Amino acid sequence: MDQMTKEAIRYLGYGKHAVDEKTLALISDSFRNLEDAADKRSIYRIFDFQQIADDRLKIGETEVQSKSLGRNLRGCSGIVLFGATLGTAVDRLITRTSLTDMAAAVVLQACAAAVLEEYCDECQAEIGRILGQEGLYLRPRFSPGYGDFDICFQEPLMRMLDCAKTIGLTMTDSYMMTPTKSVTAVIGASKTKENCHTKGCEVCDKKDCIYRRNVPVT
Amino acid sequence: MILDRLGKELLFFDGGMGTLLQAEGLKPGELPETWNMTHPETVIEIHRKYIEAGSDIVLANTFGANALKFHDKSCSLKDIVTVAVGHVKEAARRAETNGRRIYTALDIGPTGKLLKPMGDLDFEEAYQAFREVVKYGEEAGADLIHIETMSDTYELKAAVLAAKENTDLPVFVTTIFDERGKLLTGADVPAVTALLEGLRVDAMGINCGLGPRQMLPILEEILKYSSLPIIVKPNAGLPKQVDGETVYDVSPEEFAFVMQEIVRKGAAVIGGCCGTTPEHIHAMIKLCRGIKIKPLEPKEWTMVSSYGQAVCLGEGSKIIGERINPTGKKKFKQALKEHDLDYILREGITQQDKGAHILDVNVGLPDIDETAMMREVVTELQSVTNLPLQIDTVDVNAMEAALRIYNGKAMVNSVSGKQESMDAVFPLLQKYGGVVIGLTLDEKGIPETADGRVKIAEQIIAEAAKYGIQKKDIVIDVLCMTISSEPDGARVTLEALKRVREELGVHTVLGVSNISFGLPSRPVINAAFYTMAMQNGLSAGIINPSSEEMMKSYYAFHALMNLDQNCEHYIAQYAGAAPAAPSATGAAGSQMQLDTAIEKGLKEDAHRITMELAKTKAPLDIINEYLIPALDHVGKGFETGTVFLPQLLMSAEAAKAAFSVLKDILAASGSEVEKKEKVVLATVKGDIHDIGKNIVKVLLENYSFEVVDLGKDVPPELIVETVLKENIRLVGLSALMTTTVVSMEETIRQLKKQAPDCKVMVGGAVLNQEYADMIGADFYGKDAMQSVYYAQKLLQGK
Repeated sequence: MDQMTKEAIRYLGYGKHAVDEKTLALISDSFRNLEDAADKRSIYRIFDFQQIADDRLKIGETEVQSKSLGRNLRGCSGIVLFGATLGTAVDRLITRTSLTDMAAAVVLQACAAAVLEEYCDECQAEIGRILGQEGLYLRPRFSPGYGDFDICFQEPLMRMLDCAKTIGLTMTDSYMMTPTKSVTAVIGASKTKENCHTKGCEVCDKKDCIYRRNVPVT
Repeated sequence: MILDRLGKELLFFDGGMGTLLQAEGLKPGELPETWNMTHPETVIEIHRKYIEAGSDIVLANTFGANALKFHDKSCSLKDIVTVAVGHVKEAARRAETNGRRIYTALDIGPTGKLLKPMGDLDFEEAYQAFREVVKYGEEAGADLIHIETMSDTYELKAAVLAAKENTDLPVFVTTIFDERGKLLTGADVPAVTALLEGLRVDAMGINCGLGPRQMLPILEEILKYSSLPIIVKPNAGLPKQVDGETVYDVSPEEFAFVMQEIVRKGAAVIGGCCGTTPEHIHAMIKLCRGIKIKPLEPKEWTMVSSYGQAVCLGEGSKIIGERINPTGKKKFKQALKEHDLDYILREGITQQDKGAHILDVNVGLPDIDETAMMREVVTELQSVTNLPLQIDTVDVNAMEAALRIYNGKAMVNSVSGKQESMDAVFPLLQKYGGVVIGLTLDEKGIPETADGRVKIAEQIIAEAAKYGIQKKDIVIDVLCMTISSEPDGARVTLEALKRVREELGVHTVLGVSNISFGLPSRPVINAAFYTMAMQNGLSAGIINPSSEEMMKSYYAFHALMNLDQNCEHYIAQYAGAAPAAPSATGAAGSQMQLDTAIEKGLKEDAHRITMELAKTKAPLDIINEYLIPALDHVGKGFETGTVFLPQLLMSAEAAKAAFSVLKDILAASGSEVEKKEKVVLATVKGDIHDIGKNIVKVLLENYSFEVVDLGKDVPPELIVETVLKENIRLVGLSALMTTTVVSMEETIRQLKKQAPDCKVMVGGAVLNQEYADMIGADFYGKDAMQSVYYAQKLLQGK
């Protein structure tokens, strides 16, 4: 089973349980439909970074107060701001499917999340390769809304990336991203390689989450 | 006037502004428009350089100056716009122009927000934001409005309407295409062209996103479809990141070289966008100035469009799906009365899946507010289908409302040869664009002869011309009369059809199925007549794409007439078509019980077995003996962690299929279907994620609740109003994020105040019991089944 399918299954809340064949069939249908609908686009820009205190940071001209982001970025010399989206057609496909088959819609939703994550990983690998030539190493990406990194930083981050114009990614008054299958993130770049980084879902303090990766079997 | 020169001689725009300001110290994320106030000399100096480089049209530094994007406490929007326009004029005074006339363009860029239904910005709100700016711009003395860098046709429409309705200035429009020739929101070149020509802008084209070379193929595509003067304003190449800076690396010489080719291909106005400098513009003008531009060539496409694609009539025959229409449809009427939008949207989706190219939309019923319903259905349909819509109404207000908010260039059904009809409909077409169906009837009725009908068609075309509506935007419906009362009806119609197409050179449509009214086995006649009509030049048939007979005619005709390359569509449709076999599971287990089918989530089997069972069992017995136990079993499994969400929902869908069979049987037998308790569901204001709410909805409906689904982004007031009006005892609210739980709390506060007896259950990703208690909810549903159990306990005493 490929990684994306595994991720989709995790998002659907199966944990370590076996997945029935009908759901697996829906998953492969969803990935096929998403291949047509998804219009993947991404943008990144590099900014200066200053760590003023453990929980006070400066990215370009923007000051951020966040302990968890401070921890993630400690020792970095530069910052990559990153945005990615699957486009509006995926939202339309999910809305449309919700009207005709809710089970398919739920699976589609999970698969779209998996496609987006994989796309972000690919983009990040590419950025890492480019910055690697300058001797820089990337940290795991960190998005507004993770830990105590306030969701409101979505606004300056998206403005600094100009991502409405560049990739069609916008935000509602409630800081929700539209198209909904989108990501913005801060990626630290440092001169020293650090291993053993926890990343993604494992960073979160909610240890009993049913969607958690590598959850112990209960 | 610039319009006297446009399209006759080559005109030159200026180049990039933002990139030059950045070089002077503008920070990423900082609003460039503030520099009009803080660094006036820098801005004027840039304008001056462009003017001296030879630019005829100079953009005021107002790209992001709109109320939605520009929030700066230190100065008003009006001041910014006025000062910015003034800077161009000042630069023109200072520059060496040798008497050249310089035109100041008010620059309008996007708001940075996505419009509803995909985002949260209301169309009229976007319109108001643009309206404010264009009025300030005209007052400040701008000579034209340049709407640019647009990547969403809907926002573009709001901006163009605002400019056209509130100023007398010429409107130039450019959009940002990618290398595949698409806007960020998916529109292709024909779709954008159809929209802009319909709105009657003065010039259209492409800017930003690409370098000059990459724009060449897009330009060719625009030239194929557009009859307007074309603007081309490339970036100085594709942006690259070097040492943390965005750089554009096409040199002035190279830029100028490619721009020559762009002019030779057919551009009428050229300039530059990001990364271009006065040097680029100078080099460009030096090389291009002497080139004679190509004369404008009118194109004859009859195009309608949606947000994503255009449909051109004339290549084969197109299918206009007729099913979104209450006439003669009991269920559809009921859906309209009960405001069951999902039902209506599903009719649209089904027709698209069956092969429709355009969807007719008729929601007229005597006792509903047709204008409001039309607006809502048109908007919502555009969130689930990319097919162009055909606005079908006799109510002029509903027609205007729909044309205004429609994202694209619509088909309009219809205008007739009656003077009154033409007086009402043509002004709307003139303003919003569209392709209108002209019915060949007038004050004296429908002529009996083909001659008479052709004559009325001519009159319609002539009257339309007075409004500047071209022949290509009219399609004629020569009308068909049933042969049961008019024995010669089909022959007259076919003759008229052929003559309208050949003599008048316009496209044609027909509501095909009228031909068989009053006869038995109508599909037999309809399908044969449909083929004959296509053979006689029918550009689009208004038919039911779910009718197999009609679709057989359609595919066969296109295969026979070499309109279906290699019979590709025909083969895809009919290869391997065998008599419908029972489904695999059905064949193996003809003994399968209904409860098993539901537990396994087998929709088709559940449907089939229920049909079988209903021959010998009463519907209510089937529900009690099979459906409810199966649903309970699955529900329990979900609770204990042996059944997961997709399976739960597959079972729900299977049960729904079974219920629908039984509902039809009960309705047909005239027995009263059990009165269901209503539950209101809504995703709260500010929140646009509705999948959780939709899951709860499907399950509640299975457990015999009637769900009043208010949708997403629902204001508290509407929820309260619905609760009071419908006497609701339970409301379910959904919110995804901490930022929207605030409006959940507010909704609960208002509900508790005005409908204290109504209980509120809440759910959503960020909620937990503690949070739910804090905002005053009566119940927190940690998953969808919990909400069902709570509703049962509360309302059904279970």
